[in-house]
Amino acid sequence: MATQALAMDPYNLIITGVGGQGNVLASKLIGNMLVDQGYYITIGETFGASQRGGSVMSHLRVSAESIQGPQIPRGKAHMVVALEPTEALRVLKEYGNPGVKVITNTRPVYSLAVVCGDSPYPAMDVLKGWMDKLTAGAWFIDATDEAMKLGTAILGNVLLVGALSAVGDLPLERDRFQEVMARTMPPAKVEMNIEAFEKGQSMIV
Amino acid sequence: MQTICDGRSGEIQLMQGNQAFARGALEAGLSVVAGYPGTPSSEIVENLAKASTVRDIYVEWSVNEKVAMEVAAAASFAGLRSAAVMKQVGVNVASDFMLHLSESGVRGGMILISCEDPGALSSGNEGESRPFAKMFEVPLLEPCDMQEAKDMTQWAFELSEEIGNLVMIRSVTRLSHASGNVKLGSLPEAAPKARFKHWGTLMDADEGPVTPVPVHYRHTLMQEKLKKAVSRFEESPFNFYEGPENPEVIIVTSSACTLYSREAIRLLDVKDRVGLVKLGTTWPLPPRFMEKYLSKADIIFTVEEVLPFIEDSVKILAADISDRIGIKRFHGRGDGTLPTINELNPDLVAEGLAKILGMEYRPVAPAYAELVDEAVGAASPPRDLAFCAGCPHRASFWSIHNALEMDGREGFVCGDIGCYTLAVLPTGFSTLRTIHAMGSGTGIGSGFGKLGRFGMDQPVLSVCGDSTFFHAVMPALVNAIHNRAEMTLVVLDNSGTAMTGFQPHPGLTADAVGNEAPALDIAGIVRAMGAHVAESDPFQVEETRDKVLELIQKGGVNVLILKQSCALSPEKKGKKLFQVDLDRSVCLGENCGCNNLCTRVFKCPGLQWDAEAKSARIDEVICSGCGVCASICPSGAITKKEVA
Amino acid sequence: MPIFGPNELINDVIKRDLCIGCGMCVDICPYFENYKGKTSMLFPCTLTQGRCNAHCPKTEVDLDALARFCWKQPYDGAPLGHFERILAARAGEKISGKFQGGGSVSALISYALTQKIVDGAVLTDAEGIEPVPRLITAPEQVPQCAGSKFIAAPTLSAMNRAVRDGARRLAVVGTPCQMTAVAQMRMNPLNREDFEDPVALTIGLFCNWALNHRKLVGYLSERMDTSSITGMDIPPPPAEVLVVKTTQGEERFPLDEIRKLIPQTCFLCPDMTTEWCDVSVGMYEGRSGWNTLLVRTPAGADLVDQAVADGWLQVEAFPEGNEKALSGAALAKKERSFRNAERQGLLNPETGDGRPSLRVPQTVLQRILDAPSR
Repeated sequence: MATQALAMDPYNLIITGVGGQGNVLASKLIGNMLVDQGYYITIGETFGASQRGGSVMSHLRVSAESIQGPQIPRGKAHMVVALEPTEALRVLKEYGNPGVKVITNTRPVYSLAVVCGDSPYPAMDVLKGWMDKLTAGAWFIDATDEAMKLGTAILGNVLLVGALSAVGDLPLERDRFQEVMARTMPPAKVEMNIEAFEKGQSMIV
Repeated sequence: MQTICDGRSGEIQLMQGNQAFARGALEAGLSVVAGYPGTPSSEIVENLAKASTVRDIYVEWSVNEKVAMEVAAAASFAGLRSAAVMKQVGVNVASDFMLHLSESGVRGGMILISCEDPGALSSGNEGESRPFAKMFEVPLLEPCDMQEAKDMTQWAFELSEEIGNLVMIRSVTRLSHASGNVKLGSLPEAAPKARFKHWGTLMDADEGPVTPVPVHYRHTLMQEKLKKAVSRFEESPFNFYEGPENPEVIIVTSSACTLYSREAIRLLDVKDRVGLVKLGTTWPLPPRFMEKYLSKADIIFTVEEVLPFIEDSVKILAADISDRIGIKRFHGRGDGTLPTINELNPDLVAEGLAKILGMEYRPVAPAYAELVDEAVGAASPPRDLAFCAGCPHRASFWSIHNALEMDGREGFVCGDIGCYTLAVLPTGFSTLRTIHAMGSGTGIGSGFGKLGRFGMDQPVLSVCGDSTFFHAVMPALVNAIHNRAEMTLVVLDNSGTAMTGFQPHPGLTADAVGNEAPALDIAGIVRAMGAHVAESDPFQVEETRDKVLELIQKGGVNVLILKQSCALSPEKKGKKLFQVDLDRSVCLGENCGCNNLCTRVFKCPGLQWDAEAKSARIDEVICSGCGVCASICPSGAITKKEVA
Repeated sequence: MPIFGPNELINDVIKRDLCIGCGMCVDICPYFENYKGKTSMLFPCTLTQGRCNAHCPKTEVDLDALARFCWKQPYDGAPLGHFERILAARAGEKISGKFQGGGSVSALISYALTQKIVDGAVLTDAEGIEPVPRLITAPEQVPQCAGSKFIAAPTLSAMNRAVRDGARRLAVVGTPCQMTAVAQMRMNPLNREDFEDPVALTIGLFCNWALNHRKLVGYLSERMDTSSITGMDIPPPPAEVLVVKTTQGEERFPLDEIRKLIPQTCFLCPDMTTEWCDVSVGMYEGRSGWNTLLVRTPAGADLVDQAVADGWLQVEAFPEGNEKALSGAALAKKERSFRNAERQGLLNPETGDGRPSLRVPQTVLQRILDAPSR
């Protein structure tokens, strides 16, 4: 059914962030790119409190063989794409393992506990230190900054999809991305999104 | 605009579970759908509302779930196919009608889709509604993935029409809000005509009156309908077995738990030892189908959430046929193999299965687990639930809380369901002291308001939202007024059903599809009921506080309407009422006279404490420009200027 | 003087039922409010030291420290406190109007405003039975605030609000507890570098006790229509009644019932004539239409002398016999209060939990407690 077998089947991808960052959009985008290629996709979303400051998490399961459940089992994530760095760490607690890979945005979104002075927000190098200890590979991308250069902060999620594409575990080529964009976005926005995708790809070395 | 009507038959799309339900209903020729917003069900009606711009269907956000079911039933009586959609607690509200509907029967196919929330991800309870199917003797279906969500919905309409009764479909959050591959079918051309045939005799089920009387006659008919459904269940492709010929353990499962169970078998690598009986029709259980597979093994492990509904049915069935299948050992929720609270996931099922098989399941190495625990403790600050920046509820509860403290008689607020339910937490200054169901705040307030004769002198308040007011508060308010309770109801009117995604309700000028609709006036209704009415803008915190103080000294039933639209409403998004600035040189911060009032107590996400500068600051991006912080700042550091 | 914070204020004053509702802690910050006589804390404050506690007249009041600040001498327990002169006084011809007593306070305040000795006066107005703290800046508004208010009122909240709005050179008229609080504030107990004394003139009132706001309103509401009340009076003995004036006439209530509405904290107050101020004014028992007036400070003396010279105040000598009687009454209050405080463990505790309400030098205390009672 699918065009190519996966290195791991099912491949378990988690996309996480804070409400309003385009988490669901990113997961749908990746899902559509892969359904088009004949894979079985299940995306499980946890977004109940997203509008009100809460964490958001999408579990994306990719399989060439069969439909998977909407919740990834403990310790079984292969890849975590995070729109917010502390959320990446939070996800690793339940789903991380020594072989997991992480691609994360570096821009913090402060929770209420942080902004009112109750809890400190960790320094970036502290976060990086933990991620290096807890993963088999971690990439830190200034997705929000680059997105703002391209026009708007919300493009950060597309940038990260581009980065995911470049890592190469999943078949997420640029042409495939363009097809999905053309189908789901108004024509005026497609160009900007492709730029963001390509920029994200270039940020993986 | 993209709708679920897009896509040809045979095409595979990535669809959300709720979209799949909606698509299935359209493919079955649905004409009318009615519901009340409730997570995780709302997207079904929302998708059908979008579809109604390109297809001839009527979509309604009804005032409450009972009326929604009644509206859908009317369409069915007139020969159309209809659906009622709600979350689990909505079925509780609709249940009185559901009982009578099952006894009276339906005409055009009618389904009830109940989307439940095991794990209470978006609810104040872990109730479930499957027992209603048993109580009211209607067939119950549980799809296990997105494809089944579509296909079983379509089949449900056929079944409903064949037997002449309501068919109930049960979904859960992990299905409704998940997405997956769905192969589309075709959308029918025909637009059926509505006609209610009612001129037959009382006993004429097809063209007579639609009633549950004569009760014994109708009840007999109802049970025959259920028997017919069971015979269809025996042949249904939605029930099947997968696994070895002679398993050691049989898992009986349904719904999303099917996927968890499959995953558990794979995680433990025991597919040669464990068989899986997947049920799509879960009430009543098809006895011949069950007997065939229950006889395969001595250990039966039922995996479901939240109640042991199927488990109990299986045990009863097994007891009935024990002479043929032997004595079984049962595991599941009844014996603690699975937890009795919270939702399930593949790990909990794997743990349970491992226990049964005498294996160990350890998904994460202890060393890694310890390390990641440390990391999260050190570097992942918590994200609490809070009102949005610019939320009128924060301002309302600020005023109510302060009025109650100043009054000093230990007054309290009975809460209700909506975004403002969060006021039981510090984000709402922990003001709510009871929370139950829709409308319960005022019902309970009406009760507390009569306890003065027993010596209670604490001021009694209740709150509700504008949508909740129409849903369930009105009768409770009538009760308070007529029975002369001493209480004050505060209506938090933010012009929408906000928590569930900002759907419209009868107090607004638009309907589910966006057409103009007459808006009912809450103040006028309450005045006509005979309560004393006052109004205030919650962003004027001092004025609102003084009004609350005034009303809780006064006797009788008072209603205070606090009107200010939600920060996320279309008219507010991106537009600020005020430009709000903070002068750091004036900010008192930690010192006597302030003690971080705005960041430590008021806690709007737009206000941030800069520990280095020892001053508060305003985050321009998050600040929504409501100006309330300027009113409460004790030093005058925060100022507001009206935006043109 | 040890300084504590708002949580100690809650435990040591409010929870021990010592709060008199003077308003000193209200409107310095957003945390304390007073509504219909009840002081409450709206939200927890995490500070361990605060002006609310430091200024409060019901906790950690060190009489010796006050005396050294105000008179540059130790506290000696004199019944009437430190004063230069005692006079009989009443409003002069320059201020017309019918006064409940002698009108001396209204006269002095109006004069001070007119002469711009002060820019504003913190007084206690009333709306019916409800006392209303007010900042008055126009002399013609002073008479409306005249008249005894027997209900304990949060007058000092108006002072705090005025100071926050930038007001300086204020006059404050208050009861002994209120003026004790003001004096403590002027000592700048937290040693704030940015402290500016906003008060230029203090006038204290004689007081034996006040009445609990909510209890009085509750008592009267059960017996009459409180919306028609225009004022209250307690005529001199042997009347033994509280007179409530209304638009329809007068109502009388037995004083022994009214006394049940006195807050317990009043029986711990040692100050009858308001010792910590520039000028103290009270009733002149036996001579209606006149006040007893104590001049305590040079500023007070200047004010009184100028007011007399300009015709705003009239004074006469105060008979020695009356002074003796007044002294005796004041001493009795001191003695009674010190005894109550000692008995309740609120006076000079050496050890144990709970901070003292009052600190009195031991020798002074002994002298007063051992003196033969009248």
